[in-house]
Amino acid sequence: MIIKLMIVTLSKERKGDDFLFDTGSIQWDKEVDVIVLGSGGAALTAAVAAAENGANVLVLEKTHQIGGTTAYSGGVPWIPLNHYMKEAGFEDNREDAITFIKRLSLGRADDHMIETFVDKGHEIIKFLHDNTPVKFTTPLSYPEYYKRMDEALKNGTRSLDPAPFDLNEIGEWGALLRQNPIFPPLTLEEGGAVGGIDFQLVAERMQKNIVTMGRSLVASLFKACLDRGVETLIETAGKDLVINNDGQVIGVVAETKDGEILHFAASKGVILASGGFEWNKQLIKAFLKAEITHPVTPPGNEGDALMMAMKAGAALANMSEAWWYPAMVDPTFEYEDHVMAQLGSGRNGPNSIIVNKYGRRFVHEGTTYNDMPRSFFNFDPVKMEFPNEAPVWLIFDQQLKDSQLIITMMPGDPAPEWVDQADSIRALAEKIGVDPDGLEDEIRKWNEYCEQGEDPDFHRGTIQFEALTTGGGSPENNLGKIEKGPFYALPIYLGALGTNGGPKINENGQVVDFKGEPIKGLYAAGNASANPLGPIYPSAGGTIGPAMVFGFLAGQHAANLAEQPAVNY
Amino acid sequence: MPQGTHIVEVPLNINTIWEFVHDMNNWAPLVPGYINHEILSESQSTWAFKGDLGFMKKTVKLKIDIKEWNEPKEVIFDLSGLSDNFNGGGYFLAEPIDEEHTKMTGHLDITAGGMMGAMVNQILTNFVPETAQELTDNIVKKLLEINLVK
Ligand SMILES: Cc1cc2nc3c(=O)[nH]c(=O)nc-3n(C[C@H](O)[C@H](O)[C@H](O)COP(=O)(O)OP(=O)(O)OC[C@H]3O[C@@H](n4cnc5c(N)ncnc54)[C@H](O)[C@@H]3O)c2cc1C
Repeated sequence: MIIKLMIVTLSKERKGDDFLFDTGSIQWDKEVDVIVLGSGGAALTAAVAAAENGANVLVLEKTHQIGGTTAYSGGVPWIPLNHYMKEAGFEDNREDAITFIKRLSLGRADDHMIETFVDKGHEIIKFLHDNTPVKFTTPLSYPEYYKRMDEALKNGTRSLDPAPFDLNEIGEWGALLRQNPIFPPLTLEEGGAVGGIDFQLVAERMQKNIVTMGRSLVASLFKACLDRGVETLIETAGKDLVINNDGQVIGVVAETKDGEILHFAASKGVILASGGFEWNKQLIKAFLKAEITHPVTPPGNEGDALMMAMKAGAALANMSEAWWYPAMVDPTFEYEDHVMAQLGSGRNGPNSIIVNKYGRRFVHEGTTYNDMPRSFFNFDPVKMEFPNEAPVWLIFDQQLKDSQLIITMMPGDPAPEWVDQADSIRALAEKIGVDPDGLEDEIRKWNEYCEQGEDPDFHRGTIQFEALTTGGGSPENNLGKIEKGPFYALPIYLGALGTNGGPKINENGQVVDFKGEPIKGLYAAGNASANPLGPIYPSAGGTIGPAMVFGFLAGQHAANLAEQPAVNY
Repeated sequence: MPQGTHIVEVPLNINTIWEFVHDMNNWAPLVPGYINHEILSESQSTWAFKGDLGFMKKTVKLKIDIKEWNEPKEVIFDLSGLSDNFNGGGYFLAEPIDEEHTKMTGHLDITAGGMMGAMVNQILTNFVPETAQELTDNIVKKLLEINLVK
């Protein structure tokens, strides 16, 4: 095939203009209908949808394992009106779901994208349930994070819990499924993400190769891909888009880990589903409000899709946002040559507060992981600084230490040497470099609030999330004095479960340009795209929900070349 | 109980092997993931190493208590976690085949305790035998290296 080509290149060797023009021929190494970059939740859902609609699909994964952050995650999608809810006896309705999402997005998402998500999401989940091994259950004990807001669902949950999946079903690919060092092989409902878990069951599942959560979601989606003839190449990174003279994306230049350059043609479309840019320091600096020093995700998401889309002329949205997380660290754990940022815990516990370098509280400590770190960005225009800049400090006492799992410290275990501790608050403050007067005063105040049963400063003990699975926040659950030494301090860093700004997409998952026109042949989904719902994390599953929905819509649209009828659900 | 035994034939005299093995400083750095060690007494030492569990690496500190030095053939030890909840033990056994050859056996067993024990032991199922093999092989390699140079 001889075509006039414009290669949008990311290669470092490139010199001169932004685009390389090649009037010669490209020797395609492979020609398919649809190419999907990435192998996480967005990518594999897109691949299933494209293949289901008759496309010949090639998945390219940059790392040596499939599944991306999705495999490493809880794997929970948040899908309003899903049929599992109905079966569990929970009522939901379209208008309530739309109103709730609009309320959270504070006007920063397009209404039609919210409506598309609400209208299509449950259909897609039903399609997957009926036609693939992708199955979920309703995590009955896991309510909505914002349950106490007026617009929220009060009874039940829109989150979905991936059902346990036998990894042997995907044969030798099972060994290539990204490991999940954070969650044991239990479902959300079984306590996989909240503790109180049956370690015997965990051991049995490990022995039998039964996976749950993100690994179940990825493995079951992957099985659906295998069943539909989707081909996957690992250690093959999408580098450049190939764009013809009509401005249509017609292929991908990829690079293997050995540096071999391959050219893949995509007659119907390229779907960017290669995650966000949380591992790219330059992009973080360019776009985010503060540096994500501790991405909680596996390395690999370096903004490749964002750069390709920018060069192809994509409009961008949500660029200063991420799925924020207050990350903590047990330095004795490493994942792929990095000290592993962990989800941490303890901040909801009664005998703890979080303070800045002045020893002062600055936020309701138990708000959601996406919301709490937003307080790190507050600017003091008099001091000309960000006083709450991470690391901030979780301060707690022996009572909390004795009653909760904190990062990896089991109650009753001796405190490891990486935890700062002291017999007095003052000594602790001095040890960690926090203003001792400020910290002493703040703890005195906190202890008074605990006695009064009310936190007038930040309203601890009033929201659902801070005691999510134990009835919600209350003075009994969340207000407890810090009084029994030794006292402990742990740093909290700015982490993220991924970024969520990127190329703007429309209701078909097509990447649009600055005029809102689709860039022909280019699609994006998941963290490689701007979150279509805006800067919100509505509840457990708030990222994987839209990733799957718009991934599916992208795959379906690409395979059907626009106007053709959608797949029957 | 996660455990592993590894046997190798070494083309060296048993006394040469003993000379090397009886001084822990010689082979401590050969423990896979070795970070450092400190000899506390004739029979006690502490070790830090980074265990590669495949899906992640974990730095652990442990204490080794030598229970028996049976010159020239055996070192038997107990181990216990200083930073984590586990216990175990192991031995090196050297048996002469002839003047120039020795059969060397390395054995390691580690059992995690506490609430997470069942799960951690499952994770250690592969790790322990792999470590026993790697350590024994490393020692043999080192022995051959030293004695070839001589
Ligand atoms: C511990 C943890 C728990 C979480 N739990 C949940 C949860 O339960 N529910 C929820 O909604 N969200 C959760 N999240 C967030 C969620 O996991 C991510 O937002 C989501 O999985 C992103 O999906 P994705 O498909 O966009 O990207 P990913 O799953 O990250 O996949 C992107 C893939 O693209 C690959 N890639 C990168 N560059 C290239 C390239 N150039 N070419 C080819 N491949 C490339 C990457 O290696 C990766 O495999 C969690 C996150 C973490 C860290």
